[in-house]
Amino acid sequence: MPATSTSLRRAQALLGTFVEIDVSDANQRDAERAVEAAFSVVAEVHRLMSFHEASSDVSRLNRAASNSAVVVHPWTCAVLQMAAEMNRHSAGAFDIGVAPALQRTGQLPGGSEARPSAAGMPSAEAIELLADNHVRFLHPSVLIDLGGIAKGFAVDRAIEELRARGVRSAMVNAGGDLAAFGPEVRMIHIRDPRSPDRLMCQIEVSNRALASSARRFDPFRSADTVDTAVIEPKTQRPAQAAHGATVCAPSCMVADALTKVVMVAGKRAAAPLARFHASAIFVSTDGDIHTTSDWQGVLQHAA
Amino acid sequence: MADWLRWVAPVAAVTSIAAPAYAAQYMSIEEAQKHAFPNASFTEVQAGRIWKAQGGGGGYFYYDHVVGKHLLIDYTVAVGADGRVRRVDILNYRESYGGEVHDASWLAQFVGKSSQSDVRVNSDIRNISGATLSSTHLAEGVKKVLMYHASHFH
Repeated sequence: MPATSTSLRRAQALLGTFVEIDVSDANQRDAERAVEAAFSVVAEVHRLMSFHEASSDVSRLNRAASNSAVVVHPWTCAVLQMAAEMNRHSAGAFDIGVAPALQRTGQLPGGSEARPSAAGMPSAEAIELLADNHVRFLHPSVLIDLGGIAKGFAVDRAIEELRARGVRSAMVNAGGDLAAFGPEVRMIHIRDPRSPDRLMCQIEVSNRALASSARRFDPFRSADTVDTAVIEPKTQRPAQAAHGATVCAPSCMVADALTKVVMVAGKRAAAPLARFHASAIFVSTDGDIHTTSDWQGVLQHAA
Repeated sequence: MADWLRWVAPVAAVTSIAAPAYAAQYMSIEEAQKHAFPNASFTEVQAGRIWKAQGGGGGYFYYDHVVGKHLLIDYTVAVGADGRVRRVDILNYRESYGGEVHDASWLAQFVGKSSQSDVRVNSDIRNISGATLSSTHLAEGVKKVLMYHASHFH
């Protein structure tokens, strides 16, 4: 490594969580600039895909796309495309149309206005992706939230930005949804979803992405978990199959979305995991820990 | 199709280890000042907490922290001459489950530490994945800083 090389670690509050970028093997000035640019990219994804911000693509779609086609940013289109693919390949376990259920559980604002039921229409069929980034909803009840996939997408874009700026080794971690590239092998600790103040497992990550989903947890208030943010589309109720799931995949968008599939489908997630070249570990609600046979992580041994 | 394996150890023996204290240092106050107001000079308005920036548009620079039950975050807020937030930077992030967050001597080891110096608190546990942490409390802290700023300097 050249004498001018440095490592840099920065954090910002974005996407409703803490986003951390860790860069090594670059000179200080270039590294600072690259990290700033990567954070800007994450902020841009936040601006486009936030359910909360009235000017986001997601809010514009939710307001108007059932009346006429809405033009969105190509990035939003790319996420909707993957969401549709994931919806089809997971037998409906992944669905961005669960926003009304998240409103009912208080995890998303609004929802007082009664929308007619979508009658179990999968979002891949209810959302039409047209040419030139035009999107139309085919049913007036469709209300989307990209919270289950946009964080992963933001991580992928930030990684792409760092690469484009000549960074040779980096990791982006958006609240546990992370990806890394470069020669370094990074050790990632996975929280025990039953007790997130403890670590359950560790896994080495290099040139891959890792994402986790679990019951929500806020160390600011307590070491205990609260309700799960994952909704089972078929029942419109919180997912029942697992306490927590971690997925390793080639891209963070795919890893992020697949964690919801495992939370909802448990072992039945094997086919979609294989389809997207992903491996997984999850703690089922009966307490057993399951991994796909290709899972590379090692169980944490008590010190 | 991928098949599943159950972790071989009996459930009772699958021991997760406690993560009693986890800390990450990102930036020093000086680094954060340079990021927010490049080429500006800083005059302390309140010792160690508030600075007035002169040059580069000018404004005010705040150092503050949010403390919860198991979490402490040091952050800075740069407020421009127009009273708007220029940027927010996280300097330190500490998670602790042994009660240390409120312990003065435990906190003292972080004072003056820059992003380059690792504190010896589980510094091997640098990267964590799991339940997603909410950053709401930090947003609330920034809001309080802005309210203070509006009533004192704007």
